[in-house]
Amino acid sequence: MKIEDVVCTFCGCLCDDLVVEVDGRRVVSVENGCTLANEKFMGDHRLQSPIRRNGKGWEHISYDDAIRETAEILCDADRPILYGWSGTHGEAQSIGIHLAELLGALVDNTSTVCHGPSILAIQEVGHPGCTLGQVKNRADVVVYWGTNPIDAHPRHMSRYTTFADGFFLKEAFRDRRLIVVDVRKTESANIADEFITIEPGGDYAVLSALRAIVRGKREIIPPSVSGVSREQLFRVADLLLSAKFGAIFFGLGLTMSPGKYKNVRNAIELTEELSRHTKYTISPMRGHWNVYGSNEVFTWITGYPYAVDFARGIAFYNPGETTSVDVLRRKECDACLVVGSDPGAHFPKACAEHLARIPTIQIDPHTNATTHLSRIQIPVAVTGIDAEGTAYRMDGVPIRTRMLFKGEYPSDTEILERLYTLVKEAKGP
Amino acid sequence: MSLPIIPYLQEIARLEWLHKFFFVRTAPLVTPSYSRGFPELTNKTCTHALFCMMACPAPGAIDVIKTPDGWEPRIHKGHCIRCGLCVEACPNGVLTSGRILESMFNDSTRLSFSFRIDVDTNLCMGCGNCAVACPVNKLIDTQMAYGGRASTDQLLLKVSDGKCHVLHAELCTGCKTCENHCPNEAIRVSRLLEAVQIAEVEP
Ligand code: SF4
Repeated sequence: MKIEDVVCTFCGCLCDDLVVEVDGRRVVSVENGCTLANEKFMGDHRLQSPIRRNGKGWEHISYDDAIRETAEILCDADRPILYGWSGTHGEAQSIGIHLAELLGALVDNTSTVCHGPSILAIQEVGHPGCTLGQVKNRADVVVYWGTNPIDAHPRHMSRYTTFADGFFLKEAFRDRRLIVVDVRKTESANIADEFITIEPGGDYAVLSALRAIVRGKREIIPPSVSGVSREQLFRVADLLLSAKFGAIFFGLGLTMSPGKYKNVRNAIELTEELSRHTKYTISPMRGHWNVYGSNEVFTWITGYPYAVDFARGIAFYNPGETTSVDVLRRKECDACLVVGSDPGAHFPKACAEHLARIPTIQIDPHTNATTHLSRIQIPVAVTGIDAEGTAYRMDGVPIRTRMLFKGEYPSDTEILERLYTLVKEAKGP
Repeated sequence: MSLPIIPYLQEIARLEWLHKFFFVRTAPLVTPSYSRGFPELTNKTCTHALFCMMACPAPGAIDVIKTPDGWEPRIHKGHCIRCGLCVEACPNGVLTSGRILESMFNDSTRLSFSFRIDVDTNLCMGCGNCAVACPVNKLIDTQMAYGGRASTDQLLLKVSDGKCHVLHAELCTGCKTCENHCPNEAIRVSRLLEAVQIAEVEP
């Protein structure tokens, strides 16, 4: 059976035009999706049943046992962390936050190690953003700063920016100019009209130089700024100013390089500067398919987008203190529940070591690096394949993902609901 | 003993030598009667199909430029090797040189172009830039150009199973848009040029 308009739950592009053929409980083929989507839908390395470490190795246990033991570990802990959330749907995220409130736990999502700094910058100076539809229909200059969409968001260019025809751009790639900024020549840079190589850590200076040029202060620019020649800066500034509508996209090259949120703030201020002359918008390239959703759901319920600490009984947010990397580094927490992410692969070594020391429980369909640090892993259905739920695209557009077939695995929502019920019973009224 | 410079001067100051040196004459370069000249325009209308440029083996020898009266091929004489392939390749007979057009007519031959597209699936990320940018795909399925949603299998290029697939190579016009916009250098268009008898291609 061929199912149309399937939503790909891999990256933040959340492409919703896939055609997937299923045969019973098996995906047979995927059309229109990129390589990553194909792997996501076709890959079948799922964990068969919940597993628990028993000293010598792993043993299979029932869902009931796994959930009960998880509830016990979380109730016994003084300072549990509930981490991840970007790889699951909004409904499960919302249960997760209520669970954190019940436990007095710290709840954090993966933006803590990706676009957390962007959020801090946005909290300072705002977010002149727009939906990807606007970019597709209007943008004649597209900038990718510190991001390589070809690898991380393969269809971003062909679906929303450079190559997609839009309402005002009938000959997309001839009418649009593409600027790529990075510290090395990436695949995306291969097809750019202008590629700027910045010395690592030089983003802030280059952004400031561009702001000065846009402000009309060309004479103060030195011959070279962080490895970028003055001539190129002038050329790029002219290109930026020539746009009728420009869109800037930035990735972890900006948020996680020296300068961190100040880089992003500077980029937003460049956008603002450019908007005095023409129309510009700026948007982060969100990684996980529903990381934007985790920020949204966290914000509705607690008022804060990530790193929310319920230890005081109320929501408290102080990045640097309540962010999971810092809490793990200080060896502060004594239990961790990981849902829909892989901190074992992405956290600093010291944090991963602490995760291995404390009881860590992972709720994830597949085994990954975090499995090796965990005590219990509970496999669940994959949202977008055998579970459904709401996700937010990288531009904040909510999209309902589809269930292609009913499998044997419970969804994140079901597992978390059962966990919540058990914890609620244990905590009493 | 006389100084060695004197016989030397005597040698080079010979009148005959000086005369040859300053008034040298070589035979003028003439095109032999059996050789054909540079391609010339026939006043037929150029449709900008660019087959001449595709067939030309000499870099920089031919361009098709836009003039106020329409498109027009320009031969750059320093580069042209007078092979006549452009004359043979042009579907509209815009160029002529020697007896090429005549003998093509007499023998019912023509140059046939076909294109072969190779995708290196190890490099391809399935980003769809090629399939979305392809002008042939755009004519077949407008939706494709507006973001890569394929609604038919009649396309030239289509992304399925995470890789770009060539479905109908015979539709390719050889513009190389896909090759030029592939970030991974995973797609290559090659041109196959064959002389065929007209009966063979249009039975
Ligand atoms: S670009 Fe992202 S959302 Fe779109 S098909 Fe590829 S992995 Fe899926």
